[in-house]
Amino acid sequence: MTTSPAPLTVRDVTVRFAGLTALDTVSFTVEPGSVHAVIGPNGAGKSTTFNVLSGVYRATSGSVHLGATELTGLAPHRIAGLGVARTFQNLALPPHATVAESLMLGRHRLTRAGFVAAGLRLPSATREARRHLERVREIAGFIGLDKELDFPAGALPYGKQKLVELGRALCMEPEVLLLDEPIAGMTADERRRTAAVVAGVRDSLGISIVMVEHDMGVVMRLADAVTVLDFGRRIAGGTPAEVQNDPAVVQAYLGAQE
Amino acid sequence: MSEATKDATAPAATAGAPPAAGTPFTGRLRRPAPYLWLAGSVLLLLFPFYLDRFWLQAGLFAMAAAIGAIGLNLLTGSTGQLSMGHAFFLAVGAYGYCVLAGESSTENGHALTGLGLPSWLAAVLAVLLAGAAGGLFSPIAGRLSGAYLGIATLALIFIGQHVLFNAGSLTGGFNGRPVPPLSLFGFTFDDAEVVVAAVPFQSSEKLWYLGLAALLAGGLFARGVLRGRPGRALNAIRDHRIAAGVMGVPVARYRAGVFVLSSMYAGLAGVLLALVFQRTVPEYFGMILSLEYLAMIVIGGLGSVAGAVIGAAFVSLLPQVLTHYSDSLPLVSAPGTGGIAPGEASRYLYGAAVVAVVLFLPGGIARLKTPGEKKK
Repeated sequence: MTTSPAPLTVRDVTVRFAGLTALDTVSFTVEPGSVHAVIGPNGAGKSTTFNVLSGVYRATSGSVHLGATELTGLAPHRIAGLGVARTFQNLALPPHATVAESLMLGRHRLTRAGFVAAGLRLPSATREARRHLERVREIAGFIGLDKELDFPAGALPYGKQKLVELGRALCMEPEVLLLDEPIAGMTADERRRTAAVVAGVRDSLGISIVMVEHDMGVVMRLADAVTVLDFGRRIAGGTPAEVQNDPAVVQAYLGAQE
Repeated sequence: MSEATKDATAPAATAGAPPAAGTPFTGRLRRPAPYLWLAGSVLLLLFPFYLDRFWLQAGLFAMAAAIGAIGLNLLTGSTGQLSMGHAFFLAVGAYGYCVLAGESSTENGHALTGLGLPSWLAAVLAVLLAGAAGGLFSPIAGRLSGAYLGIATLALIFIGQHVLFNAGSLTGGFNGRPVPPLSLFGFTFDDAEVVVAAVPFQSSEKLWYLGLAALLAGGLFARGVLRGRPGRALNAIRDHRIAAGVMGVPVARYRAGVFVLSSMYAGLAGVLLALVFQRTVPEYFGMILSLEYLAMIVIGGLGSVAGAVIGAAFVSLLPQVLTHYSDSLPLVSAPGTGGIAPGEASRYLYGAAVVAVVLFLPGGIARLKTPGEKKK
């Protein structure tokens, strides 16, 4: 997994749904190993951006590159195969599976066992599963879920479920991590913990993180760069301090002064 | 049922643990299980010595149905892909075996084509043939989701029925064709009597063990698939298709793959059914059969091997039980004597069972045993 970190470049991406322009020539670059926040009022196009980055939506025009590799037009599982992982704003966890099984799904792209190997329980498949379960335990420990591994993920409190989502994305050993409102709906304690995990991921693993988040305190604390969207357009960008004082941003959030 | 069944209740409990908060890992509660398995498997192995042909046949139907239902449950229960075409693949297996193993002959003025291959090879090839038929359909199965696939597979039933009735030289048309007995390592599963411990063994007794072995193998294989990497991918596709793709699961490829696998299970079930029936007839492989298989997995429990086996036993043994005891049951009478025929009565009953399960037991009968009832 130690390819040299590559920047994620979004260039002039436009997404239209039957006449509605959800994204209008949006460009930004996520520097390797940085936390890049995408903020904006509701309906600004943040989730659409994520869906384009992860291949769920196809851009009408424009391009997304990870290093030299073009991501635009690739199927989601191919983009995931290149090391782009994401979490979902509204949880996308299996309702009955345990936390360990949910995390193991994140190992999918790193494992090989197919129908025959798994069905016949070939030694190669068993060994592979054991090895990857080991790594899953490590990651669970890293994000503080080691005690919950055997619980059904659906039975955990909301904040923990969000952590499971984050853990599952981390289990993909990503180069780029897309976090869609990672701390929304969490208790103060869980927020602190998640923010620490995100910071730790950047510092110790060198993963680039793109984050959509409404909690400005966390954005200002964690983000190295911020892109502000409003009505599908990029209205500002820069360091958190620059963005905070940008009149266009203030206007988008608070409305124009009469 | 067989060892495979009892064995498989464990993953059912794990995979399907109801999300009741504070119930730690229900799968661990299986302490008396080993003894139950042992008793169950000894009982199953001894049945041919005590039961008469009627009950052995009923049991064999249930085993064949269980194999087919395991396959359908992989597709519908675990991946969320509805298939109405399961009967078609059963037919491919059953007729495939007859054509591959049978000799060319003339019956009632019909010329029947047969390749006359060794019957064990024919059985293996018939399963592969069913898989290949599933493979031909898999580009469609990979692209369509859920109920849409259900509608598309309906077409298979109609095509299948048309071919079975009209391709006379292959299928024998309306009258069907005889099924050559299977022989394996020089041992033939036919009606020639072999006396074992003063019990005459005919085809049902011999096939009983073959059926058990096939069910055990099929159940264990499916359980391995479900507990391993492919099973997680399939469940992810069922639970959240978009997230599955984003996690790196090639959704279309897995949908196509599980469709082929489920067709092969249906093919194996078809071969076993043909061997038990000793004659394949086209009308058996109609839409009703597909619906029965769906009823099995819903009643038994979606997404688990145990559920498929329990449901298959319930749906396929019920008509037999009602037929056998039609004299002593109120309202049910022997076919053709007025009143409700056993077949009809059992259909009403499992119709009611489907409704009851959907309303009161969303996890199916297989999940009844799971402790930690959820009260919502």
